[in-house]
Amino acid sequence: MEADNNLFEFADFDELESEHIVAPRYSYWKSVWRTFFKNKFTVGVAVLLIFIICFALIQPMLSGYSPIITPNINNADMKFLKPSAEHIFGTDHVGNEVFDAVWAGARNSIIISFVCTFINMLVGIPIGALWGFSKKMDRWMIEVYNIISNIPFLLLAMILSYVLGAGMRSLIITMTCTEWIFVAYFIRTQVMIIRDREYNMASKCLGTSTWTMILRNILPYLISVIMTYVSRQIPSLISYEVFLSFMGLGLGTTNASLGQSISMYTSYMNGYPHLFWIPVGVLAIISISLYIVGQRLADAADPRTHM
Amino acid sequence: MEERKIVLSAKDVEVKFRVRDRYLTAIRGVSLDLYEGETFAIVGESGSGKSVFTKTFTGMLESNGSVTRGSVMFHGKDLTKLKTDKDWEGIRGAKIATIFQDPMTSLNPIRTIGSQITEVIEKHQGVSKSDAKAQAIEMMERVGIKDAASRFDEYPFQYSGGMRQRIVIAIALSCHPEILICDEPTTALDVTIQAQIISLIRDLQHELGFTTLYITHDLGVVANVADRVGVMYGGQIIEYGNVEEIFFDPRHPYTWALLSSLPQLGEKGKELYYITGTPPSLYNEIKGDAFAPRNEHALKIDFVQEPPFFKVTDTHYAKTWLLDPRAPKLEKPEVIRNLHEKIQKMTDKGGAFHVE
Amino acid sequence: MSNEKNGREVILSVKHVDISFEVGHKKRFDAVKDANFDIYKGETFALVGESGSGKTTLGRAILRINPCSAGEILFEGKRISGKISHEEDRNVVRNIQMIFQDPAASLNERATIEYCVSEGLYNFHLYKDEADRIAKVDRALESVGLLPEHKSRYPHEFSGGQRQRVGIARAMIMDPKFIVADEPISALDVSIRAQVLNLMNKLKVEKNLTYLFIAHDLSVVRFIADRIAVIHRGEIVEIAESETLFEYPIHPYTVSLLSTVPMPDPIVEKSRKHIVYDPSQLDQSGEKRELKELRPGHFVLANSKEFAAYEEKITRLEKERAGR
Repeated sequence: MEADNNLFEFADFDELESEHIVAPRYSYWKSVWRTFFKNKFTVGVAVLLIFIICFALIQPMLSGYSPIITPNINNADMKFLKPSAEHIFGTDHVGNEVFDAVWAGARNSIIISFVCTFINMLVGIPIGALWGFSKKMDRWMIEVYNIISNIPFLLLAMILSYVLGAGMRSLIITMTCTEWIFVAYFIRTQVMIIRDREYNMASKCLGTSTWTMILRNILPYLISVIMTYVSRQIPSLISYEVFLSFMGLGLGTTNASLGQSISMYTSYMNGYPHLFWIPVGVLAIISISLYIVGQRLADAADPRTHM
Repeated sequence: MEERKIVLSAKDVEVKFRVRDRYLTAIRGVSLDLYEGETFAIVGESGSGKSVFTKTFTGMLESNGSVTRGSVMFHGKDLTKLKTDKDWEGIRGAKIATIFQDPMTSLNPIRTIGSQITEVIEKHQGVSKSDAKAQAIEMMERVGIKDAASRFDEYPFQYSGGMRQRIVIAIALSCHPEILICDEPTTALDVTIQAQIISLIRDLQHELGFTTLYITHDLGVVANVADRVGVMYGGQIIEYGNVEEIFFDPRHPYTWALLSSLPQLGEKGKELYYITGTPPSLYNEIKGDAFAPRNEHALKIDFVQEPPFFKVTDTHYAKTWLLDPRAPKLEKPEVIRNLHEKIQKMTDKGGAFHVE
Repeated sequence: MSNEKNGREVILSVKHVDISFEVGHKKRFDAVKDANFDIYKGETFALVGESGSGKTTLGRAILRINPCSAGEILFEGKRISGKISHEEDRNVVRNIQMIFQDPAASLNERATIEYCVSEGLYNFHLYKDEADRIAKVDRALESVGLLPEHKSRYPHEFSGGQRQRVGIARAMIMDPKFIVADEPISALDVSIRAQVLNLMNKLKVEKNLTYLFIAHDLSVVRFIADRIAVIHRGEIVEIAESETLFEYPIHPYTVSLLSTVPMPDPIVEKSRKHIVYDPSQLDQSGEKRELKELRPGHFVLANSKEFAAYEEKITRLEKERAGR
């Protein structure tokens, strides 16, 4: 191809022209959401999870279920019914709807695990961040950590449940009074990894205070690992709750909970296995979907996936 | 030059990487003939593709990258067609060896220096353990390790950075390669060590007669080592020629810019020459001359059509429209005119870089 | 002012500073030994040495990141090393700024350029209101050749050279008097380096700055420095005016460093001698060495015997040069 002759002239040259960045503007949170919603499976699980949580929060209000209200206890026809169109999950040994029991239990389990996780993070993250930053604090905090982490959890749960009595308040205290230090320890280690990076030294040279550095330099880098931690903590606290209730140290017999239901229905495992498996299944679905959504969120929060 | 034997011939090589959902064209059609026994230097900035290009000679492209066009002929074999490690046996590390920037990445930190050299010798030459050890010690002495026998059983961390790079060279040369690729071999080393490593490689080359391919961003190193030079920009070689031609008679504006911006040529109180902007993104298709947006001497056609290679001499070619007869005449920047006289003055008695 | 020397105002003095680090059990490693020099107001003082020579350690001691184990550092006549009051510490931060080597590592990747550049302004509240802060950031970006539209971008969207200029803008916005530039161009691509050097020179004149320029390469400092100190294994071996050091390099280490500067000329470079520094050539009598003034302003590390030899060498060189 013969090029046009007047093309052989000097083009205009602007020095600042080459400084422009042509790539579309980057926004951290927008990229997080975009990455998260790109995967169809993740979106499906997230929708399911939101539905389950909403349903667990609303359904018990409509049914008014309580393990101590047993209108059908003397009606043999209403006991141990198999799941059917009329009784979705069937009925239990006292003639109550398993469907109502499971959702009321799920509601309490979810509330407890979310509240406990929230408290643990609220206390653990700032303490852990400071702990990781200050070498002086590290020296005595590590001793505190050694002591607390060596207290057997079951022993503590037993003592607290005797002192405070059963109930939601005492269960939340049990699951937060020592758990925060594990969060703090985790954050401390993460902070120590990035504490000595050069950009932090640069901030120090600009006179930035420790708290500002924690807020602006450290925590934004930890969003992803904190999300990973949360996504494991919530399901694990649900199973703690189930475990404690199962052991009789949890919410007590007057409150519905998944642990309570599982513990209660275990006796009928042989004759009516669905009584046992339905709450266990619901527990598994909630835990797994919480975990998956949390992990995918954590992945999306890692800017290395934003390419 | 015509009668010299070509050991390796790359033709129109294109390399693409798949990064998430996009393709990055790292190498956009590069051809290169390596002559036996010569030292060829590829100069370019980070992202110019200089490392990627030579990785196609040893099949060490990252797994998301592949040669999508062209061929690399070596001993009648097209290296781009080789796939498995078995295909590469006898070529990679044997006939074509590589020295990398950071010696620590090529050495195993938990094995002794001696065992790492003997392993290579045993594998490629099939000699007995004791012979391999004798050869290894000889090789260590050759690369300048004093009392090699006693340092044979030491670990990499007991060696200094320069010594480690010497060991890497010993390993690379212990199977007598035909081509030695040196990928920024001195960048991680201190300036005083750099000179030693470079002259070591040159001495060994004279002794053993292999062909050397240098990859570097440092024009000073190029001037020291190279017989021929290729300048890479935006995934292409944009100018190549004998080393004197590239330094004393460069034709591509990018080569001008690279030379002009050297601080060695700066004069106190005056501005140094510099290039604005940043190298092109290789994710996008590049139209015309890749350097045009940063080139103050760009012609209108540079934005429209890719320039072909224009012949300057039999050995010197440049890919710029400025060499087209229709283009306006343009002389190279003032700083690099009479370069040899200027440098000579600097290194002569009384000059800034004169030493005795 | 009281802190004057040779008719020039001294802005920073490093007085017999030792810096050592604990390595392992009760073992100490001396990173810097008896560093002793003054930096005059308005000059560019270069500290040149290989990696591990202690040049960065010394630079960071001035910024109070590394503590001195002996000696003291004075800024405008006031001691800034060791324990000082909170106000004095703030004063040091305000007036002494740093430009880092690796622009990729020294910017907060999760903050916008606007925050990165404003960080110092926030810490000292150096602005009247939001509009004033934005105006200051815009001006700082403009002075380093960047555009106001870059404010909302993140560091990873920039090239290495642009990022380094953000690093310079964030230091400059504090209106410092003294800047420690720790190998500001060695992590950059060759074609970008010149731009950053030019920029530093321009800002120095505009803002009447003093630089401590840390480098490993004599070719760069020749262009930018007024005086050069060569440091080897924690000891300063030679200090001189830039021209003098290139014309009369005396210490064998300086000579070796100079001989390894690569020259962009294949004919010259291929015939060039690279001199390897061999400390065993020095006097082995064990007599203590110290920095001695060989010619006015030209110091060299020597004991009495070496000093005599250096004296002889420089006299010979001077005669040779005068005869030409």
